[in-house]
Amino acid sequence: MKEVVIHPERCVGCMQCMVACATAHSKTKNLPAALWERPLPKPRIHLGVGLYREGFPNRCRHCDPAPCMMVCLPGAIYREKTWNTVLIDVEKCINCATCAMACPFGVIRYHQDSLGPPGKAIAVKCDNCVDRQGRDLIPACVEVCKCGALTFEEQGASLKRKTDEMARRVSAGAEERGVSESPGFVLLNVLKKAQVELSGREA
Amino acid sequence: MRHVIVGTGIAGTVAAESIRRLDPDGPITLIGDESFLPYCRPMISMLLEGSILPDRMAIREADDFRSLDIDLVTGERVSRIHTTEKRLETTAGKTIPFDRLLIATGANPLDIKAGRSDLGNIFTMRNRRHVEAMLEVLPDVKSALVIGGGLVGLKAAHALIGRGVNVTLVEKLAHPLPLVTDRKCGGVIARRLEAMGIALKMGMTVTAFEGDGRVREALLEDGSRVSCDLVVVAVGSGPAVPSMEEDRIRVRQGILVDDFLETDAKGIYAAGDVAEAMDVVFGLRKVNGIWPVAAEQGGVAGMNMAGRNVPYRGGMGRNVVRVGDLDMLSGGLVNPPREGPYEVLEEEDRRRKTYRKLVFEGDVLKGLVMLNRVEKGGVLLSLMKRQMPVTLPKERLLDPRFDFSQLLPGMQSAVTC
Repeated sequence: MKEVVIHPERCVGCMQCMVACATAHSKTKNLPAALWERPLPKPRIHLGVGLYREGFPNRCRHCDPAPCMMVCLPGAIYREKTWNTVLIDVEKCINCATCAMACPFGVIRYHQDSLGPPGKAIAVKCDNCVDRQGRDLIPACVEVCKCGALTFEEQGASLKRKTDEMARRVSAGAEERGVSESPGFVLLNVLKKAQVELSGREA
Repeated sequence: MRHVIVGTGIAGTVAAESIRRLDPDGPITLIGDESFLPYCRPMISMLLEGSILPDRMAIREADDFRSLDIDLVTGERVSRIHTTEKRLETTAGKTIPFDRLLIATGANPLDIKAGRSDLGNIFTMRNRRHVEAMLEVLPDVKSALVIGGGLVGLKAAHALIGRGVNVTLVEKLAHPLPLVTDRKCGGVIARRLEAMGIALKMGMTVTAFEGDGRVREALLEDGSRVSCDLVVVAVGSGPAVPSMEEDRIRVRQGILVDDFLETDAKGIYAAGDVAEAMDVVFGLRKVNGIWPVAAEQGGVAGMNMAGRNVPYRGGMGRNVVRVGDLDMLSGGLVNPPREGPYEVLEEEDRRRKTYRKLVFEGDVLKGLVMLNRVEKGGVLLSLMKRQMPVTLPKERLLDPRFDFSQLLPGMQSAVTC
C-alpha cells in the first residue's frame, strides 16, 4: 500500500502543502471559493520550523498501534482498513483533547471543520485524503509539493531508495565524484543556518 | 489457561482484548458489578450536563465481546478472592476458578467527614449510577454545592451551571485543580470559573450539613452558610481493593505490582486505578488514576497474562482540562518542592493568553503546565514519558512555536553535511 513519505531535507518551507490540504478538505474543493467558506478550511498538515528555520511538513503518521486511538475517551478514533488510515468520527468526537496528550508528533488540532458538524469544535487531523484516494487521486499535499519533500509510494520502495542513496554516498570514491543527492537543498539549508548563526539570534 | 478479569472499566476491557489477541482459545471471563456494558467513565459529567445521551458512553458493544468469545458478566460483584486456591466468589453465590487473574476494580470515591453527611441529595460522582441518581432529583434543584475543586468537582460544577443551577464550589486548597496545576494557572482557571457564574470558596472546608431528610444548607469552616439542595462530594478517590488474603499481596496506596504488573501472588495481576505501578517521572511506584494509564496497563497486563513477557515502561500523571475557552494541559511534577534539584522555566504571553511552565531535573523534563495552545503538548509529554535528556536549549521548549522537527537529530546533521 502506498503511503505519504516525508523527506524533510528537501522541504523549502513554501507551505503549499498546507494550502492544498485546506482546499482538499473544504466544501468547494476550489481555492478561491474556499477562501469564502465559513468556517475557513484549515490544513491538516503543519509546517514546523526547525532549529535553523528549515521547514518540516508535519502530518499524522497513522501509527500502528496509534496512541491517540488508545486514549480516545468516546472511541471516536478508529483505523480504516482499506487505506490503513487512522480517522476521527466527527459525530463521536467530544473535543476533549485527550488525544493532544497522546500524539508524540503534535499533529492534531481542535476547531470547527468544514467537513464536521456545524458549530461544533472537534479534533481534526490528516485523513490521508481517503476521499481523493477513492477517486484515484493522490493525497493533495503530495500532488502539490514541488520539491519532492512529500512523496506517495510503497514504504518498501522508499526504504530501498534511501538505502541505495546511502550506499552510493559511502561507497569508495564517492567524495571525488561529488555525490550529493540534493545539492540545492543542502546549500539552501546551509545558507539558512549561516544566516541564523551570523545574526547571533536564535531562529 | 483460564483468565478472569475483575472490573469492566477500560483496564479490564483492554486487558481482555489483549489476552484474546495472544491466546485465541483460553476462556476469558470479564466480571464487573456495574450493570452496564463497559462505558467511558470520564464522560459521566457530560451525562449530567445533558450534552450526550447514555448510549454514546458505551466503549464497546455486546457483540464485540461475543465475537472475541469473552464471557462478559455484568451486575455481579466479586465478594472475595481466594489467592491460594485460585478462585473467587461473587455476591450472587457463584464460585469462579482462575489460572490468571487481573484485578482492575478501579477506585471508590472518598467520603467527606462532615456532620450529617447521611442526608438526602448528597452525592459522590464516580459512576453512571451516581449521575443517574442526581439527574432524578435535578428538576427540583435550584442551588448546588460542589465540594472539591479537582477534575471531578470542576466538571460537576460546569455541568450543573449549564443546567441553570446556582453553583458554589468549595476547595480546601488555595486554587482549583491543586494537584494537576500550579498557582498561576489555577488562578486563571478560578477567574474563568467565576466569569461563568460559579461562586468559588477557596481554602475552605465544609464542616456539617443541615436539613430535614434532604440537605438544605451547608456549614463552612468559617461559620458561614451556603444554602443548597444538592451536594456533590468530589474530594478524591481511593483504590477499590477487593477482599482477599492481604498477607499474600502487598497493598500500600494501591495493590503493589512489579514491572510486569504482577502482584506478589504469582498469576494475579493488577491494573488501572487500583494498581500501584511504576511512575516514570517520580521513579517510584504510585497510583495514577487516569484513563490513559488504565488503558496502557490493561494492555500490558493482558499480554503478560497470556504468557508474553512485556515489561511496563511506567505511567505518568497527565491531564487536559477545558474550562470554557481555556485549555490547560499538565503532567508529571507540576509543583516541585523549593528545595531540590529542580529547575523551573516559565513564560507567559498575556496577549496570546498563553502560559507555559517546565520543570527540569538536569536535562530531563519532570513536569509541565500549559495554558492554551496545548495541541502540541503530546510532544513534550512524550519526551517526559521517555525521560529523554533534552539537548536543545531548554527555553526552546517554552516557545509555542516549538515543533517536533526541532527534536530530530537527523535534521541538524542534514544541515551540516
